[in-house]
Order: sequence, then C-alpha cells, then structure tokens
Amino acid sequence: MAVVDAATATVASRPVGGRAGAWWLRNLEIAVPAGVVALVVLACFVGPLVLPVPPPVGGSVLESYLDAGSPGHLLGTDPNGNDIFSRILHGGQSSLTVAVAVNLLGLAVGGTLGALSGYLGGATDTVIMRVLDVLIAFPSLVLTLAVAQSLGASQTNTVLALAFFSIPAFARISRAATLRLRELPFMAAAQLCGTPGWRVLARHVAPNIAPQLITFGMLGMGIVIVIEGALSFLGLGIPPPAPSWGNMIAQGQQSLSATPMLVVWPCVALFVTVLAFNLLGETLRARWSGR
Amino acid sequence: MSELASEPVAQREDVLGTATADAPVRGPAPDPAEPLLVVDDLRVRFVGRGRTVHAVNGLSYSLAPGRTLAIIGESGSGKSVAARALMGLLPSTARVSGSARFDGTELVGLSEREARRHRGADIAMVFQDPARSLNPTMRIGVQIAEAVRAHSDLDKAAAHRRAVELLAMVHLPAPQRRFHEYPHQLSGGMRQRVMIAIALAGEPRLLVADEATTALDVTTQAQIMELLLELQQRLGTAIVLISHDLGLAASYADDVVVMYAGQVVERARTADLFAHVRMPYTGALLGAIPRLEREPHSLLPVVPGQPPDLSALPGGCPFRPRCSSATDECAEGPPLREHEPGHWWACWHPLPDAPVKEGV
Amino acid sequence: MTVATRPGADADRAPGRLAALLASPGARLVGKRLLMAVPILLGVSVLTFWVLNLIPGNAAQQLLGPEATPEQVRTLEQQLGLDQPGYVRYLGWLGSAVTGDLGTSLVSGQPVTSQIGERLAVSGELVGLAFVVSLGLAIPVALLAAYKPGRMFDRVSMLVSITGLSVANYVLALLLVLLFAVELALFPAIGFVPLSESVAGNLHSMALPVAAIAFPLFCFYTRFLRGDLVDQLQGEDYVTTARAKGIGPGQVLLRHAFRNSSFGLITVVGLNLGTLIGGTVIVEQIFALPGIGQLMLQAINTRDFVVVQACVLVFAIVAVLANLLADLLYAVLDPRIRYGSR
Repeated sequence: MAVVDAATATVASRPVGGRAGAWWLRNLEIAVPAGVVALVVLACFVGPLVLPVPPPVGGSVLESYLDAGSPGHLLGTDPNGNDIFSRILHGGQSSLTVAVAVNLLGLAVGGTLGALSGYLGGATDTVIMRVLDVLIAFPSLVLTLAVAQSLGASQTNTVLALAFFSIPAFARISRAATLRLRELPFMAAAQLCGTPGWRVLARHVAPNIAPQLITFGMLGMGIVIVIEGALSFLGLGIPPPAPSWGNMIAQGQQSLSATPMLVVWPCVALFVTVLAFNLLGETLRARWSGR
Repeated sequence: MSELASEPVAQREDVLGTATADAPVRGPAPDPAEPLLVVDDLRVRFVGRGRTVHAVNGLSYSLAPGRTLAIIGESGSGKSVAARALMGLLPSTARVSGSARFDGTELVGLSEREARRHRGADIAMVFQDPARSLNPTMRIGVQIAEAVRAHSDLDKAAAHRRAVELLAMVHLPAPQRRFHEYPHQLSGGMRQRVMIAIALAGEPRLLVADEATTALDVTTQAQIMELLLELQQRLGTAIVLISHDLGLAASYADDVVVMYAGQVVERARTADLFAHVRMPYTGALLGAIPRLEREPHSLLPVVPGQPPDLSALPGGCPFRPRCSSATDECAEGPPLREHEPGHWWACWHPLPDAPVKEGV
Repeated sequence: MTVATRPGADADRAPGRLAALLASPGARLVGKRLLMAVPILLGVSVLTFWVLNLIPGNAAQQLLGPEATPEQVRTLEQQLGLDQPGYVRYLGWLGSAVTGDLGTSLVSGQPVTSQIGERLAVSGELVGLAFVVSLGLAIPVALLAAYKPGRMFDRVSMLVSITGLSVANYVLALLLVLLFAVELALFPAIGFVPLSESVAGNLHSMALPVAAIAFPLFCFYTRFLRGDLVDQLQGEDYVTTARAKGIGPGQVLLRHAFRNSSFGLITVVGLNLGTLIGGTVIVEQIFALPGIGQLMLQAINTRDFVVVQACVLVFAIVAVLANLLADLLYAVLDPRIRYGSR
C-alpha cells in the first residue's frame, strides 16, 4: 500500500507549477469561507462607521414594522422602529467579540495547560486532566446559564462562563498534540542537548501544535457564536435594547407568524457566519490531518 | 520440510553464497510449455491534479506453474503497483494498460466484478505488514472462513472446519483454539502465517508475496519463506516474490526481474543473474549488501543519488543520473534485449561478463 | 497480558472464559473507569455548588430582590443556613444529595427530587427519540456515501451535513415551527401530550422538538461516520486484504470498515450525550415541553437557586454517566481492549 499511497500522495500534494498568482483559485475551499469571514467582520465593525445606517437603538415607534427595502432601511424595521440591518451589524460586533475573546482565552490558557500536561506527564498531567475532566463533564449551555444567572447577564460574564468550556477543549487538543510530538526524535534530541524545559516548550512544542489549535479555534468560533446566541435568546446574554442576534431572534419569535422576517434575518446572519467558520475549520483540519 | 518451517533456519544468513549452491539441490522446476501468467508491456500511471505519475512503464515477464519469480527493486520502483494491477487492487486514480494474461484470461481492463472472481480464487496476495493487514476486530478464524466462503458454497460450519485445516496447514499451533483469537494476540510471524492461510483459502494457482517477510525479524523471515516453499511444493502454486532484498531472490527464486523507475532493467534465471550481473544498477544493489569478506570497518558502497521523480521521467535510461558508466549515449533509451540466451538487460554499457566475486 | 496470550503455551486447553474475562485487561479497565467517575462526580458537585452559592455571595439578597431591607436579608440567610461557612453548607448539601434529597424548592415548597423525576422522563424521551432517529438515518446515509465516495450522493450528503452543522438548534426549531406549524399546520408548535395519555398524540407533539435536536445530530454522525469509513477503506491494509480475498465491496464496507468505524462512533455518541442534554434546554423552552431544561429555566427566572442547582447537578451526572457508558461499551466491544494487547 505504501507504494501506491506515496505515488498518489505526490500527485495530490504538488501544486500545478507556474501559476503562483492563482493560489486562491486553487484553494477555493479556503478562500471562499475566509472571504466570507472577512466580509462579516468588516461589515460588522467597519460597516456602521462608513455605511449610512441609522443607530441600532432609539428608533421611533412611528417607524415600526417597515418592510425590507423601505427608504433608509435596507431590511426594514423591528417593532420598536429600529433599523434591522443596523441591529444585525451591531449584534454581530458583540457575537464576534465574545467569540474571539473566548477562543483567545481558551487558546492561551488551555493551550498552555495542555502542552504542560502533555510535556511534563506524571502527577502534573493527572491533576490537570482530572480537573479538566470535571469541566468537560458539564453540559456547556447549562453551566453558562447558571453562571449568567449568578453573575448577572453581561458580555464579560458571558466570556468568563464560556471560557470554562473553551479552556478544557483547547487543553485536550493541545495535550494530545504534545503527546504525539513527544514521540518524535527531535524532541528527544532537544532534551538530550540539555535544552531547558520551558525553552523546548516555547521553541519546539508551541510552533508545532499552534496550527492544530488555531484550526480548532475556527470551529470554536462557530460554537461560541451559537451558544452566545442561545444565551441572548433566553434573555441571559446581551440585555435588550442593545442588539444581539440571539435577542433579535427571541424578540421576533413573539410575532413569528405575522412577521417571520424579524426572525429570518438574524438567523441568516448567524447561519452564514457559523457556516463560514465551520467550513474554514473543517478544510484546515482536513489539510492538517493530510486527507 | 515441516521441521524447517517451525525452526529457526540460521544457515540461511549467507543468502548470496547459497544462490548457486542451492539451485542444483532444489533443481529448477521443469519448464512447461504453457506459462501460467504472461505479463506483456504492463503500464500503470496515476492521474492526479495536473500531474501524472508513471509508476510502471512496460513490465514484461512470464511465469510457469509452480515456479517462483522474484521482482526486485527499491521502494517506488513500481514492483508493488504492478502486482496490485494484476489483482485490480489499485485506487481509482490508476490507469492500467498493456496486457497480463492469466491462464489465457486477460486481466487488464476487467471490471471490478470480473476482477473479483479472480482475486483469491486464482491469484492471492500476502502483504508486507501482517499487523495492519488483518482486521484487528475480527477473530482470525472468521477472517479465514470469509476467504474460504468467497469462492465456494461451503456453509458456515464447513468453512469453519476448512479454516482450521488451513491454520494447521500453515503450522499454527493449536489451530482449534487459535481460530477464536484476535490478531493482536498473535506474534508477527504467526500473523503472517494467518495471512498465508487466508491467501491459500481460495486454492489460488498464483501467490503474490508483496514484501511478505520485510516486517519480520530474520529468523521469522526464514521460517515464513520455508513455509511458502513447502506449500508451493505441496500445492504446485506459482509464486511472485516482490522484494527489495536481492538475497531473498537469490535464495528462493527461479527467475529474477530487476525493476528501476517502473522499468525492467535486467531479467534472467537466478543463477545466471548472480553469476553474471550485467546491468550497473543491479551491480550497485549487490555492492550495497554487507559481505563477510569485506574489510572490517570499510565503508559500505551505497547507490549514490535518489530514485527519479516518476512524474517527470527524463528520456533514456532512468538510472543514468546515478550511474558511473553513463555517457551521452544513455540519453537515448537502451531497450531491454535478450543479449544472451535467457539473460535480458537494458544498458549500453553493461558490466564486463566476469563472474562477480563469490560470497563466503 | 496475564491471560493466555503466549503463543504455543498450553495448547487447546479450554480456558475458563468467564474467569479469564474478569481478570482481563478489559475488565480491569472497566473497574478503573468506574473508580475514575467518582472523583469526577464529586468535582462536578463542588463546581455546581461553588458557581451557584459562593460567587454571587448573597443568595438571600437575590431571592428577596433589591428592595429588601438588610434585616429581611439576614433573617432569610439564617433560615436558609447561608450564614454558615461554605464548606459546611456544601457537606450538608452533598450529604442529603447522595441520599437522593436535593432540597426543597424555594418557590413551590415541594421537594426538588420528585419534581425532577417527572421532568427527566420527558427530557429522556426527547433525547432518546432524537438519538434513535439521528443514528437510524445517519448510519445508512453514511454507508451509502462511503460506498462510492465523490459521487453525487456523497457530495450532496456532505453538503447537507456541513450546512446542518452550522444551524443553531434554536434557529432550526423556529424554522421548523414556521414551516410545519405556521405554514403547513401539520404539527403543533406547542402543547405537550404525555405518553400516558396517548402514544400517538405524544409522538405527534414530540415530532418537531425531536427533529430540531435530531437533525444537527444526524449531520454530525453522518459526517463523522462517512469520514471514518472512507479513511478505513482507503488507508487501512486490512481492507486491501479483504478485497484481495475476492469478497464484494458491500461486504468489505459492512463487515470490515463499518465494524471498525462503529467503535469510534460509540465514543462520539457517548461524548455527544453530554452536550445534547444541554441542548434540550432551549428546545424545551421553544416548544414548551415540561422537561428538566424548562424546569431549570423557570427556576432561573424565579431565582429558585435550589432547583437550579439540582438541575445543573442532574445534567452533569447524566453527562458523566453517558461518557462512562460509552467507555465501558467500547471496552466490552473492542477485542483489542477486551483481551489486552501484546
């Protein structure tokens, strides 16, 4: 099998020579979702500054329930007369901010814990992994709800509550990657040369496990955006009138049969964003696992 | 023979030396008029995104019933791919052309359904890594019985009995009990015996051993080879021995085909080949084998350079870049010709026809 | 290793199967996993207690609302025993929790355990049906997709599954309501019919909530199983051996690849159950199903922290037990673990 694999592998992995400028054409699987992610980020954070959109709150009830395409209101207005497009862009800001913060926390804290755990092994490993097992045992939404209830609903508390779950998830992946790495000869070589442990971790482990962690972060973005939406949907995330995709869906649900578009627009925003992150993550993961 | 099979065969270490000595003892099988397998200009390429890998470029040989042919080459020389092409076991990216006639039936271009009729029943294969080639979650007996039932209408109980018989045939101790064990409970050599039992289940006339002993230690290697020879004599099976190990070919094969970059570079009777190596590549391979008569601590000559990129083969002799006797002439492909009766080579500058140094 | 795995040793002696199995590495693994679940469950209870009791500092204040006078708060604290140190309260709570007493609801005054019991049955039915439906669909779809990878069926099913994985379950639930309850009026949007009342009515009222939970699961399992099957078929040497025997592609897929992939699937299903039970909270809320998730949300809204705490604990225990079950099932089914490896 080895021979066949080697032959087919070389066929697949070698790029078609000579067309360096067309990288994105040959990598549409990455380029398209990455482009969508970039577009969403740009729209949410830069859009409100440069586009002629009204503020997301403080609309007049006189302008409520306007249809999509009404003058000045691309997607119409909600029951409070607020511009839906503007609310979606601003809601995206909070979703993306929370998701980035949660994943960065997970990456930094969980990644370090997992690498330490895998690299040191022994009692350190056991203690860290047992603690993480406890966290992993929790259904994430349930504990997040409980934390949100205890601490009160706010963006910071949402980030803290969700970090409870991103940290162990990243730690597991980081530990598994470190364990695989430890089998490789260059790690033994570094240790035999007397390189101090922190240096091995920083110079040899970190750069090698980073791609896997970042790939997982892409999938993590999708997961966090969904959970953040759920919290807001249940009234325990971003409190209205401040917009978030979750609380927009919750608000729309009350008049689902009369004005379904109030639910559909934020759902579309949520779906497109999560799909883009998922596709990006899946493609990167497939590349890294060599499939 | 059965004693040999279950005992370490230490005498076989001087594999090269025994080549000429051994041949007369076993005696070459009589050369019947009708060959079992005739491979003619077999070509395999893998078509991928914008690149084509030419894995096998015109392989020809024929094999008579009950005889052993060794196909020798480095990894990537196309020897395994060629064998899988016979079985129809290549991935869908493979394009096979040329001809391979098994007992008069053309194997190239068969549909999956037609190819399946031959697999196991006419041609069987033993693979390199017995640890990975057996299904880890199935009892070994069931895996053998499955092969038995693939080409017969025996019922479950009869297939079970046959599987136990096969286990006994490959000298696995306590076959009744072993039937119910899982691959991980067996040693490497025992697993390879199970693989051989699976291969023999369909009573094939041709057995392809694809690096079948490479993953085993030297003692076990010899035991497995002895087992194959014993079964060959009992059942009259023809064997294609695929290996990178010239020593193995010297000890066990009647004929040898040496492949390089998907092409045959030399082909001869085993005794002929090792007495008079003509192709520089074969010579280089032979030179790279440690020998007792070499000066202690002398550097082992290695074949310089690397096998060529099969997706961008230059014209002419593929060995040219690594060959010390290469000249400009070699850019125009030397054809494979029968320069001496039974001895074929593809080279403009063959090694002088002097017997190579005898082994110890 | 201690079981008769030595080659050639005492040939054909019938081994005491049961005794061997009990002493086998698999059995020891089961024992180890059972023991490991104990500290995890303890940790889960500590975390539950800590999050709900210690961080906010003052449950009585929360309960009474911001207008309460300090005296009222102090009186309630004493009533609830909140003036005692945290560890004393935890041990007291744990002591009654292990005997099955999860406290008394602050709002309804009823014992929490009995409330949870009925609710758990509804949530259990929801999750159980979702599992059956999603696995029942995912396995044949994944097998068909892996049978001819790259063909139309494979591509469409993979596209559907990655899309489905990106739909949040509340989004899906609302779209289902919009389509099947509002537009087509085929299924009720709300209104739970207990199983004891009418089986058909119960299934009818469960259809949309089950679909909302099962569809993402179906997508996930299909994707996982199809990927694993293709990996087995293309990358594993034993598949080549099986094909070389001359058996058909269907048999290779079912007897060899699927058999081996199913072990991975079991693990994934076990891991899923933990996250899944969390997902029921939101679906129960949307469809007004009287499950444990809805109970927890109600308790959160009425600040009934005794009930919230009990619900969180039950969720966590179910998740731990599901993982444990998957581990055990894996150990029992996979011969490499059951008999140990060399």
